[in-house]
Amino acid sequence: MAHASHHILRFRSVTVRYGRRVALDDVTADVPCGSLVAVAGPNGAGKSTLLRSILGWHPLSAGEIRIGDAHTHHQLPRFAYVPQAHQVDYDFPATVREVVAQARWPARRPWQRLDAADHEAIARALAELEIGDLASRPIRELSGGQRQRMFLARAVAQGADIFLLDEPFAALDRRAARELTHILRAWRAQGRTVLAALHELEAAREHFTHALLLSTRLVAAGPVAEALSEAAIHAAFDAAACVHEAAPPVPRTAIFPR
Amino acid sequence: MSPGELLLEPFSLPFMQRGLAAAVLVGLSGGALGSLLVLRRLALMGDALSHSLLPGLALAYLFFGQNVGALLVGALLAGLLTAAGGALLSRLTRLKEDAAFGALFILFFAAGIALVSHYPSRLDLAHFLFGSILGVGPEELRFAALVSGTSIALLLWFRRSLALHAFDPAFHRATGGRGGLVHVGLLALVVFNLISALQIMGIVLSLGLFILPAVTAYLWVERLAPMMLLSGALAALGATAGLLLSYHLGVASGAAIVLTLGAFFLGSAVLSPRHGLAAPLLARWRTGKRVLHRPD
Repeated sequence: MAHASHHILRFRSVTVRYGRRVALDDVTADVPCGSLVAVAGPNGAGKSTLLRSILGWHPLSAGEIRIGDAHTHHQLPRFAYVPQAHQVDYDFPATVREVVAQARWPARRPWQRLDAADHEAIARALAELEIGDLASRPIRELSGGQRQRMFLARAVAQGADIFLLDEPFAALDRRAARELTHILRAWRAQGRTVLAALHELEAAREHFTHALLLSTRLVAAGPVAEALSEAAIHAAFDAAACVHEAAPPVPRTAIFPR
Repeated sequence: MSPGELLLEPFSLPFMQRGLAAAVLVGLSGGALGSLLVLRRLALMGDALSHSLLPGLALAYLFFGQNVGALLVGALLAGLLTAAGGALLSRLTRLKEDAAFGALFILFFAAGIALVSHYPSRLDLAHFLFGSILGVGPEELRFAALVSGTSIALLLWFRRSLALHAFDPAFHRATGGRGGLVHVGLLALVVFNLISALQIMGIVLSLGLFILPAVTAYLWVERLAPMMLLSGALAALGATAGLLLSYHLGVASGAAIVLTLGAFFLGSAVLSPRHGLAAPLLARWRTGKRVLHRPD
């Protein structure tokens, strides 16, 4: 893993500012190809900012993000972004197949219909996530875990190499979380790379191979056991707690799967 | 008079024919557009937008008289000022967009009423507020056809962007979509359709032609494209029935159309088998029938 050509994403002194506030400060790290990377840290540590800056949503104030490596399949890797599950209104009139088909829309011109290859990719993604039998159901009838698998299927149907997940475990019960773990391990076996923003260290330790521990600056990076050591977590969370001491504690909103 | 005559006789009059054609055209595009407003939770914002058009219309009427082009420009400027002003205020102050919008639109509406009441001999307030089917001349009908045709073409062309942006803005953005552009484009289309609906519906009620069929359709179907089609068809149907009611009962055309569409909506809210008030009762009745067994 030491050889640079095996790193599908390389961050070099990445700095992002929102006005005067620094969201990410001088982050340098490498993401090995085919790893499951937990992007961990306290609230406001820059986890989501890191994911979004990979997509080019935030201009970097300094530094660079290098995408791709020397492997022939990875010179121009494709991204799939999976937003937080609760950001979507599940009363929206759409079926599961339609949502998964959205993966193929951006590549089509307005006058073009989806072609046979598109439908093939959609069917394969539905089958891979085992929601083929739900395909013509309205999305409001899905359980929390099924909703997540629908969005993962959409990401798979995009034909992506790198998957960016924003808090994938946030809305899941234990069973759905176990299912997600299985899916992520299978993806890893297929050489897919996953970066997931996580605020729960338990989930990061349990399900991921690597971790980037952020607290605006990079606190630690590497295999999970090393990056999430007691000392590193203390540095990330307690340092942040000092900064936010003045802010009143905000109760977390619980999200219950239907 | 036979029922056939009751239905057909009103439309032998040229002004009723023009009114009907304009109402059906605006209904088709406005109903489809209304579906997107409902799903984006912009229904109330659209209503505010329609009220804010009054000062632009009044000024245009004052200077240029009954001229479709001038009315359009006036209304467009007023609508854009409100939309842009609301966006700007929410960026630069601590106000949220709905609060900024709510404050601005009532200000614009008041300015419009002030203008209209200051020149009562030249401007008829009731005409602006409640519309008048007599005002639909050949020029207004041509404008309605142009707006509806263009709106439907644009809705078809940008159907995927509009649907993605309404459903999952983050994914829309991550796949190269420009959310701000889609949002502004949608509001601009709403303003054009509002102006087109103005003569028949009046400022106060015009959004009813867009929103009521959309919420009715939302209670019946499970996919976006059928919802937009059904909503457009319901709006056209409601406009036709409403104009007939208006003719026979001597009621303002806008009110008659909104009341007709409102009857569709209330009926659906009760009767829709999956989303209506009666849905739980229906489900219980069905399971009751399934588990019912008679003692032998």
